[in-house]
Amino acid sequence: MFKKILIANRGEIAVRILRAAKELGIATVAVHSTADAEAMHVKLADESVCLGPPLARDSYLNIPAILAACEITGVEAVHPGYGFLSENARFAEILAAHNLTFIGPKAEHIRIMGDKIEAKRTVMHLGIPCVPGSKGGVTDDDEALLIADDIGFPVLVKAAAGGGGRGMKVARSRQELPIALATARSEAKAAFGDDAVYLEKYLEKPRHIEIQVLGDGKGNAIHLGERDCSLQRRHQKVWEEGPSPVLSTSQRAEIGEICADAMRKLAYSGVGTIEFLYENEKFYFIEMNTRIQVEHPVTEMITGFDLVVEQIKIAAGAPLTITQDQVAVRGHAIECRINAEHPTTFRPSPGKIAYYHAPGGLGTRVDSAVYVGYTIPPHYDSLVGKLIVHGCDRAEALMRLRRALDELIVEGIETTIPLFRTLVDNADIQDGVYDIHWLETFLDTAIETKKSDPIKEDAELVG
Amino acid sequence: MKNLVPKPEAGFEVGGIDPQIVEALGHIIQQFDLTEIEVEHGDLKVRVARQMSANHNIVAQAGAAHMPPLATAAVAPTPVAVPARPDAEHPGAVKSPMVGTVYLRPSPGAPAFVEIGSQVKTGDKILLIEAMKTFNEVVGPRAGTVTAILVEDGQPVEYGQPLIVIE
Repeated sequence: MFKKILIANRGEIAVRILRAAKELGIATVAVHSTADAEAMHVKLADESVCLGPPLARDSYLNIPAILAACEITGVEAVHPGYGFLSENARFAEILAAHNLTFIGPKAEHIRIMGDKIEAKRTVMHLGIPCVPGSKGGVTDDDEALLIADDIGFPVLVKAAAGGGGRGMKVARSRQELPIALATARSEAKAAFGDDAVYLEKYLEKPRHIEIQVLGDGKGNAIHLGERDCSLQRRHQKVWEEGPSPVLSTSQRAEIGEICADAMRKLAYSGVGTIEFLYENEKFYFIEMNTRIQVEHPVTEMITGFDLVVEQIKIAAGAPLTITQDQVAVRGHAIECRINAEHPTTFRPSPGKIAYYHAPGGLGTRVDSAVYVGYTIPPHYDSLVGKLIVHGCDRAEALMRLRRALDELIVEGIETTIPLFRTLVDNADIQDGVYDIHWLETFLDTAIETKKSDPIKEDAELVG
Repeated sequence: MKNLVPKPEAGFEVGGIDPQIVEALGHIIQQFDLTEIEVEHGDLKVRVARQMSANHNIVAQAGAAHMPPLATAAVAPTPVAVPARPDAEHPGAVKSPMVGTVYLRPSPGAPAFVEIGSQVKTGDKILLIEAMKTFNEVVGPRAGTVTAILVEDGQPVEYGQPLIVIE
């Protein structure tokens, strides 16, 4: 097992990783920008190193500085968290070249899954169901029209180098396709430096259901059930829950085993998430994330396993010790991502937290790096923290969530807490009847039907 | 940088005694015009005595057997002017532009680039910082005199860490 690791991240995930490391008896090194000198992860770590000025490229993305920090602190491994360098294959390779362990999958797998065309081709061979689409990139507009006719309109033009919902354009007819292709290509070039695009069938009202997998790099792999992350705004997940309100035990077992089997064939190492769109009882692969995800606590609450601890153990060379039959979904968990944003305009609201009180009690978990007097810097993401509740079933989880939201206080900045208070009382949410467009439609409708702020502190919105 | 290399306070042998206790006792002696004050807390005993002469001596004693005897340090008559790191916030402090290991001399055994009292011009080499086998020169940003060197040869440093004071 490692004696000391460096956490190449910040905020709540850095604290999360720190906690797992401490529980394993591993010494911790935090790295930070000058803007994060007072951050919680810096305070909790055994050692800390300032990497540079606030901008991510000068600090959290600054590979030479991170390597130098590894060198002067004598760490054996680096945990990259999520975002930043977590899916940077080159970073993983550079660490290996310096005899440091990257706590994550093999660089080759990061690379394959980072290229969306390559990822789809690879998983298809591994038996994972995919969205019908072009066999690879499309460069010729005439070819694109033929493929689109074959798949059936509407189609989606997607950037190969995109991901996380970025770089996608819908074409509902043959007339719309050439414009969609041209726009997607130029936007992809600007955003990702690569204008390669491919086509997929556009699903009208799917849910987003993802499967958590865990492999030891030696050919053993299991799945840990699903998370339903359909409630999104601009492709950013807002509310995640597990198990999905729409899947049966046998459906879960079936798709789970397909994913676990694929990971065995790949000899995948570490945690990963295989994301699907689900419509009419069919699963369609969209992408795989080769890292720990923001919403991992949902799976931890329903299965009882500490995913970050498992990541670290596997990276240290241990074989997978959890067997598939040890994985059981117990109860129901819901996670709310609380952002420092205005609850209806979503305008970022960085600033000083004047008062903070986290809820407690049975089945209530808060993963956050804020504290009273902490100033949320403007340079990074706006996540204040994650509120996760667990109940014996979905009804209890919803009651617990309502109760926990009542206890949660964050003052001094605007947060999206009022949005969650509204959602938890909404009939569709309570019935679990929603798809990936639901939240945006809800927000648009709410703003249209009421002239003033529809989401009030006391959540009186008719939903 | 937290806990990376424990830095001895300039001029004091700390050995477990918070220098702020000594400073506070010094204030009390001044304020009430005492000659001596002694404080005991657990294993530690601190006695501050003032001799009515030019030098004021501060003697700290450790009660526990495992604590080594502390060195006597001469202190200026008004201890109020001794913050925890007197030179760190100094406007003349030159801060590290990167993470790495700092060296005060071009190679082991060679004379240091600068010493306290050295006169430097803008652009003079004052330190080396090494990271991953690459040596980076740190040059003086202004002309002046080196009044403090805040790091030791071979010490790890982080971005923004004060290295040297040039006034």
